Amino acid sequence: MVIDLAACDGCGKCVTACSDKHFLPPDREWLRVFKMKDSENGAPYWFPRPCFHCDDPPCTRVCPVGATFKRQDGIVLVDNERCIGCRFCMAACPYSVRTFNWGHPDNPSDAVARGYSPEWGYPRRVGTTEKCDFCPDMARLGKLPHCAAACPMGAIWFGDENEDAVTSGPDKEHSATGANEGPGAAGDRQTVRLSQLLRDRGGYRYLEDLGTKPRVYYLPPVNRRYPAPGEPDAEKGAPVRGEQR
Amino acid sequence: MSDTVRATSPNVPSENQDAQAVESYLLSTLDPVGRGGRFWILGLLAVVAVGAAAWVTQLVNGLRVTEMRNYVSWGAYMGNFVFFIGISHAGTLISAILRVTDAGWRRPITRMAEAITVFALIVGAPMVLIDMGRPDRVMNVFIYGRFQSPILWDIVSITTYLTGSILYLYVAMIPDMPILARHARERGRSPRLVRLYEMMSLGYRESAEHRRRLALALGAMAAIIIPVAVSVHTVVSWVFGMTLRPGWHSTIFGPYFVVGAIFSGTAAIITAMAIFRRAYRLERYLLPLHFRHLGKLLLVLALLYAYFTLSEYLTAWYGGIEADRRLMELLAGNTAYGLTFWLWVVFGLFAPIGFLLFPGRRSIRAIVAASVLVNIGMWVKRYLIVVPTLQTPFIPAEAAGITPWYFPSVVEWAITAGAFAAFLLLFTLFSRLFPILSIWETAEDVDEARARHVRVPAVAAPQPGSAVRPAMLLVALIVGGLTLLAPAIPTNAVGAQEAARVELRRASEGEEDVLVAAVTVGGVPAPGVTVEFFAYRHLGLLALGEDETLDDGTAAVSFPRGLPGNLRGDIRFRAAVLSPDSLAGAAAETVMSGGVPARQDAGEPPRALWSTRAPTGLLVGITVLLLCVWSTYAFTIWQLMRLRGIKGG
Ligand code: SF4
Ligand code: SF4
Repeated sequence: MVIDLAACDGCGKCVTACSDKHFLPPDREWLRVFKMKDSENGAPYWFPRPCFHCDDPPCTRVCPVGATFKRQDGIVLVDNERCIGCRFCMAACPYSVRTFNWGHPDNPSDAVARGYSPEWGYPRRVGTTEKCDFCPDMARLGKLPHCAAACPMGAIWFGDENEDAVTSGPDKEHSATGANEGPGAAGDRQTVRLSQLLRDRGGYRYLEDLGTKPRVYYLPPVNRRYPAPGEPDAEKGAPVRGEQR
Repeated sequence: MSDTVRATSPNVPSENQDAQAVESYLLSTLDPVGRGGRFWILGLLAVVAVGAAAWVTQLVNGLRVTEMRNYVSWGAYMGNFVFFIGISHAGTLISAILRVTDAGWRRPITRMAEAITVFALIVGAPMVLIDMGRPDRVMNVFIYGRFQSPILWDIVSITTYLTGSILYLYVAMIPDMPILARHARERGRSPRLVRLYEMMSLGYRESAEHRRRLALALGAMAAIIIPVAVSVHTVVSWVFGMTLRPGWHSTIFGPYFVVGAIFSGTAAIITAMAIFRRAYRLERYLLPLHFRHLGKLLLVLALLYAYFTLSEYLTAWYGGIEADRRLMELLAGNTAYGLTFWLWVVFGLFAPIGFLLFPGRRSIRAIVAASVLVNIGMWVKRYLIVVPTLQTPFIPAEAAGITPWYFPSVVEWAITAGAFAAFLLLFTLFSRLFPILSIWETAEDVDEARARHVRVPAVAAPQPGSAVRPAMLLVALIVGGLTLLAPAIPTNAVGAQEAARVELRRASEGEEDVLVAAVTVGGVPAPGVTVEFFAYRHLGLLALGEDETLDDGTAAVSFPRGLPGNLRGDIRFRAAVLSPDSLAGAAAETVMSGGVPARQDAGEPPRALWSTRAPTGLLVGITVLLLCVWSTYAFTIWQLMRLRGIKGG
């Protein structure tokens, strides 16, 4: 995944889409948009933070029962049928990605009807952890994750590193074959070479020095396409919700 | 009352103490409890019941009844866990180290110390269970356990430690058992109690051979329990130290925790000594000398702990890495934690050091006061290790409009209180069944007291522990694979109106490889047509560029270099007509070789810390350590089994 900080205007549509599609209770967000300001005189910017699906994931290292695991395609998932709720993974993840089912979750009937798989993480169970899963169920259908599909700015790119390609753009029709209908058919959707995008735009990974080898790259917020947070007209819907209760 | 005076008062002249007197005096502590004792036990039972009720509430409602949330995801329970495991080190230090170094004054203290170890572990270890979101799944740890997780190290080393310390406590109790059996019989106690004592005596009698075997068993246990204890608190600290969090990810966390553990453990023994001394009138055996010796030890440990604290936090503060700086602002700055921290420094560290350095005339009181302060202080300190770090995540939670703040809920307090009550209750009941001072050792002490007096401090060596279990297999799925096995459909052309046809092929132009699209309308090459080229990717079409056809109807872009294909290196290309509008929509797709073949990560997952399979070195190390420890236990048990077979003596 590549997140273009120059394109993100903090509208929070990605968060809403993720929360809706995963039936998230109001006390948590898998994807969270932070308002960052790195230094005193630096400009603030919006910083969407999914799970980074690290290649050397500290969360997976410490799980005593292998309930958090890394698949061979690189995706890090949680199996809530095995998790014992020790929350070591939450303490170990340096990016504060993980959320916990502190009480008995309310599972909507749609969630129950689909049945459980770590690939979508619901119906959820009390006393287990969960987190952003990169929507592998969508990837199976050749579709973008919900956040990337919902971003009106096309700020979230997603793809398979093995293919050296990432795709972005709003999912206009939400049609089943949208991605493969050729130019024009999927709105502004575009696919570019990952290596070239990172080279041209100075892609970096967050807190690289921790050695977790995240699989999410950020493109620095240069030549922004939106007003920075704090500028007039900017605070239009930052996804600030209450602390989880 | 002045303790100093009492101990040397003419009422209990020490020359009157022979082994017989010791025995009958210590046995008298087992007499039925008075009114005060009954209230004490009932009170403790009530608090335990409240704690148990709180736990039931938590089991029914989930951890929602605590104040822990997604940022501060560990709280008071983890603090309790570290605290109890900490005071469990009392037994090891006092008893094992002093036994190994043959410090004579230890004798009246050993049993109490060993009992603290066992009960602190029995109360402390379940704290992890209480903290778990799914205690019902605890068996998963044995079914799917991964040895890369410090939690497994904890479980294995605490189990090893608990087994070892029960064995150790028991071995040292054996010589008292025949005495207890006889006493119970004489007093007409229930025959079942007599049976229990007899069974536990394993046929031990006063004979040279019995003594020799017992000494062997005791020596082996005392020696092995020291490294086991050190390993236990080291791996407890590693639950924190192995994460990347500021304030936790620290190289000195192992020794810092071990010193803190022995520190709080010694204070716990002194406190327990003071309580039992008063409750059972043991002034003639628990002498000011014992308090003074332990007080000195406590002083050394307090200074050591102060030193570790200073080096831990001063370096964090002085270095001032952003994450550390934010933690230090919370921990030692103008916050509730900061206030608590400095209160701890003053009352949990400096005040005890002051009391111990200048004990004045009322030395026992000063030492006991210092110990109580240390006990309270160390609980607070454990709390301050667990919580503030979680409250300073790398990405400041405040940036998302969240203020993580934590203070334990009623349920958490109730369970904590219940745990402390359970600890005291176990201790009390134990002292009702078995004399809290070891009869045989105290008698030995009395015999020896006139002759000599030995006191030696000692140091322990670290050693972690764990056990072996196979790992589980990944649910390996095929999202990446699906992508790469793109359908291998041969060249096909998608017709458009006016019968425009596109053909797509690869050609070389001089040095360069190109993708060529030939556009024909009704069989005639069409010039001036814009064609766009794509490569199929799993989630979309990767644009390769566009070109206008020449007179021969061909357009070309350079063949993409180094673009990954499927497992055979095949890529599916597409060429589509963009303009003129009359021809737009005509397209061709071809699967061609020329891509970089995808790697296939087949076979077993790597051996890595994050993987399902633990690194070999880790498994070998853990196995070797465990074998050493458990074979010593086996040796001890073997010695005990042979006690019965020994003929008279
Ligand atoms: S970002 Fe956190 S939860 Fe996600 S893989 Fe990395 S360590 Fe694990
Ligand atoms: S909370 Fe669950 S997923 Fe996380 S480390 Fe514990 S068992 Fe593993």
